[in-house]
Amino acid sequence: MPILDKLRLDGRVAIMTGAGRGLGRAMALALAEAGTDLVATARTQLQIEETAVLVRERGRRCLPVVCDVTDSGSVNAMVEAALAEYGRIDILVNNAGGITPGFANSLTDISDQTWRTGIDTNLTGAMYCSRAVIPHMVKQASGKIINVTSGFGLRAGRDNFMYTTAKAGLINFTRSLSLTYGPAIQANLVAPGLFPHDDPAMSEWWKGGKYTPMGRLGRDEELGPLCVFLASDLTSYMNGQIIVLDGGGLAGGHAPTGFAPVVPLAEEEGRGK
Amino acid sequence: MTDEFSLAGKNALVIGASNSLGRAAAVALAEAGANVGVTTSTRLQREEVAANSCANEIWALNRKGFAQAIDAADEADVRAAIERAVLEFGKLDVLVNAQDLPFAKPLTEITPAEWRRVLDVNLTGVYLACRAAGERMLSQEYGRVINIASVLGERGMANGAAYCAAQAGVLNMTRALALEWARRGVTVNAIGAGWTAGMGIIGGDEGRQALERYLPYKRLAKPEEIAGAVVYLASDAAAYLTGQVIWIEGGALSHV
Repeated sequence: MPILDKLRLDGRVAIMTGAGRGLGRAMALALAEAGTDLVATARTQLQIEETAVLVRERGRRCLPVVCDVTDSGSVNAMVEAALAEYGRIDILVNNAGGITPGFANSLTDISDQTWRTGIDTNLTGAMYCSRAVIPHMVKQASGKIINVTSGFGLRAGRDNFMYTTAKAGLINFTRSLSLTYGPAIQANLVAPGLFPHDDPAMSEWWKGGKYTPMGRLGRDEELGPLCVFLASDLTSYMNGQIIVLDGGGLAGGHAPTGFAPVVPLAEEEGRGK
Repeated sequence: MTDEFSLAGKNALVIGASNSLGRAAAVALAEAGANVGVTTSTRLQREEVAANSCANEIWALNRKGFAQAIDAADEADVRAAIERAVLEFGKLDVLVNAQDLPFAKPLTEITPAEWRRVLDVNLTGVYLACRAAGERMLSQEYGRVINIASVLGERGMANGAAYCAAQAGVLNMTRALALEWARRGVTVNAIGAGWTAGMGIIGGDEGRQALERYLPYKRLAKPEEIAGAVVYLASDAAAYLTGQVIWIEGGALSHV
């Protein structure tokens, strides 16, 4: 089969959490364009209804299901609804997550509940969804789980405790998934860099990508092809791995702070002669 | 969606298509639509035969291509291969560094000449190709550099000091060069290949069987399982991806 045809996902079914906007919507639409039918979940009904319309415009089926990933009962009901509609689940994208109340609190100001909400939203939710979907993938002897971590899962942040801890935990959770259920099932991660999701305030906060090596911020639709690639048969030997899509941020300095060391060139300093 | 992965109209050069990984990368690029020139890693005759066979496969896909025998550690040879790609295709968009000189020996037995040769082909060869291709890519403000390295750039192996040092060098050179060229339209990434069938470092049936017991996948990678990532990185779909290593290793790096 020609290599580009292996990127086609016709006849497969994908669950996208956090599908109502931003990266989740962009990945859902890319999967739909590659041929999958979708289950679009999020807490906000109106947003997933909008995503569903966009999926259907691309000629695929979409089942919007309101779901709070921090509630395992809600997750289990969502997966049951997906199976009732389609009879199979081939792809699970654990994209739901984000900053939670008190995300920038100093350590001593983090209450027990603040901590739990941050960890549940960004780590436990992915575990609940994976736990509910895995038995069906095992039965099918195939499946793809794609977990969305962050540059903050690989590097730390000052006064950033819940988010960095949860996103780092998600990485090793994914590796253990890959060793336990591979090679039939592949579990990998994407780590998006700075994506403002069309929000001018976020763009401004990150100075338009001035400190990102590539000089710009990420666009939501750029995550789509990466999601398709990881959901496809082209990545059958890839398991437990992370693909960072960040315009070069993690290759060197830390993008948003402007700390990107560039040493003087040899002729200026007399080095390297 | 698959349009974003198409390489129709793109022109590529694969250094070291005489080994299984380089060959699979070259064929995958051609299948995705690119014209592809290929070279050997060294001037061994069996490498030349393999590179020619790869070029035949590219022609069979109705793409332009050529095979050139080079020593990937020789500056003039590498430059000549890149100039030939520009001459035959008009332009060079994608450079894949798959040059490989497998080598394993206890450190105290490695001669300085052997050490230098392993580093020269596996690491300095990448620098030479990036340098020569980079001049073209920077002036046209477009390019994709894909360095194929190994899990031995991330983990050690007894008797592998020279090879491991070279592979690790390729990985961190990738990150540095990515930053250098990030605003000039050229992305630089690496593929961290797992233990792949046909690669010399495996060392025959005994090595293969030991790896099959050890790997979580219980088998080696097929070369074409690595090549999909080459197409992804070479395509417009990966425009925002630079300075990264994509590991395709069947769990080799995940387990304790």
